[in-house]
Amino acid sequence: MIKVKNVSFSYTKKPFVKDISFSVGGGEIFGFLGPSGAGKTTLQKILTGLISTYDGSAVVAGMECKRHNNSFYEKIGVDFEFSTLYEKLTARQNLQFFSSLYRNQPASIDNLLEAVGLHNDADKKVSDYSKGMKSRLNFIKSLLHDPSILFLDEPTSGLDPTNSRLMKDMILEEKRKGKTIIITTHNMHDATELCDKVAFIVNGEIRAWDSPHNLIMSKGAAKITYSYFENGEQTSSCLLKEISEDTKLQMLIKDNSLLSIHSSEPTLNDIFIDLTGRTLL
Amino acid sequence: MKAIKSNFRQFLLFLKNDNMMFAACFAPLICALLFRFDVPLLEKLVTSYFNVSEILTPYYALFDLFLSVLSPAMFCYVAAMMILEEKDDHIVEYLFVTPLGKQGYLVSRLGVPEGISIAVTIILLSFFNLSKVPIAANILLSVAGAAQGIITALIIALSSNKLEGMASAKLTSLMSLGIIAPFFIQKGTQYLLSPLPSFWMAKGVYENNYLYMVLSLVLSSIWIVFLIKRFAPKTTG
Repeated sequence: MIKVKNVSFSYTKKPFVKDISFSVGGGEIFGFLGPSGAGKTTLQKILTGLISTYDGSAVVAGMECKRHNNSFYEKIGVDFEFSTLYEKLTARQNLQFFSSLYRNQPASIDNLLEAVGLHNDADKKVSDYSKGMKSRLNFIKSLLHDPSILFLDEPTSGLDPTNSRLMKDMILEEKRKGKTIIITTHNMHDATELCDKVAFIVNGEIRAWDSPHNLIMSKGAAKITYSYFENGEQTSSCLLKEISEDTKLQMLIKDNSLLSIHSSEPTLNDIFIDLTGRTLL
Repeated sequence: MKAIKSNFRQFLLFLKNDNMMFAACFAPLICALLFRFDVPLLEKLVTSYFNVSEILTPYYALFDLFLSVLSPAMFCYVAAMMILEEKDDHIVEYLFVTPLGKQGYLVSRLGVPEGISIAVTIILLSFFNLSKVPIAANILLSVAGAAQGIITALIIALSSNKLEGMASAKLTSLMSLGIIAPFFIQKGTQYLLSPLPSFWMAKGVYENNYLYMVLSLVLSSIWIVFLIKRFAPKTTG
């Protein structure tokens, strides 16, 4: 569905996006992770045809992005990080207008509004919406024409935990329908939960590209930490894969004298710091 | 085409919801009525008061020239204000990633209103002209006026927000300054305003030479291409 080969781009004489290559298959969720200003949004602009002066090749839905025609946009849906809605119109009027731009209009506006819990506010002006409501409306706007590829920029940004969960479930539902989804985020938890593969982008370059699980497993190992009473409370730890060699732990289990035990794995953020020397935020 | 039609319908909805913008679209008709009926009346009054045969009559073509740029200017002002509102709400960037695309957006926001303004100007110049404008000159002036309207709209639309756009709208009235040059400025000096398409429109009327009007169109095309190239990157970041 998406094949990017040696893509480079620059706003000035200094290269901003450097020699990027990756591919995303159908029904996959691919995440761009990186700190602000790393080049994630620029890369998304290249893939959505907003920037056409790049070097290399970026093929989306069988079309080279810099040579796309407008039918290209029947196949892709874009959800920007910021609200892209007419503030003076109601939610329903906004959706009616944007859906009228497409030839494909299979999605029911009422069903979409209901799916994100906005059906009771459908006839309210968008200017009266909260940030979270706007985010949800923005998201369903990208689904109006049932695109096969979705580009989502920080889809859960500004949402409370309940709505964030609802949004993530909707994204996973779109994946189940076979859609290819590109998520741009610096939220490692979302990336770990949603993405089949992630690419770490720093200073316009991909530093690593794999599934979150493989990245975590390749760079770190899960640990067990336990506590027990022996001349006061004591804490000890061992690697999960070496648990059978920890005689102290085995003895404590046998005597039922463990006070606490928990495992901890490195997070995607730890891996990111490990690989790039930078934090995601 | 479907997307362009929908987006133009959105433009009409914007007009319907904004009384000021709606009224601005009728300004050319009001001016046409004033020019056609009040200017000759004023001429009659001042010539009889000063006891001379003519005062305003030699400048009747100037009124027609202003009429030719008025409709496009008003229509484009409205379009530019809508573009700025859409820029403020980040909608322009979003529309660029729909089947409307950049070209469709510019056609629906500037091309279609300007097409209508050409028709309106031809009608206004036919019925309300003061200097007996021939039909060929009427059409050329209407098209050249529309091209100038697009330039005006693009200059306004390059502003960062609606407030800045209001300020630059005032500045764009300078684009019409070229109209008065052939009538009031000495031959050598008047060419200082030659980069303005309006100068060549006026020169065409003043010297009754259609070639100048064609030159005005060529010059406008250069302006438009230059401004569109600046508009798209500014909008998409």
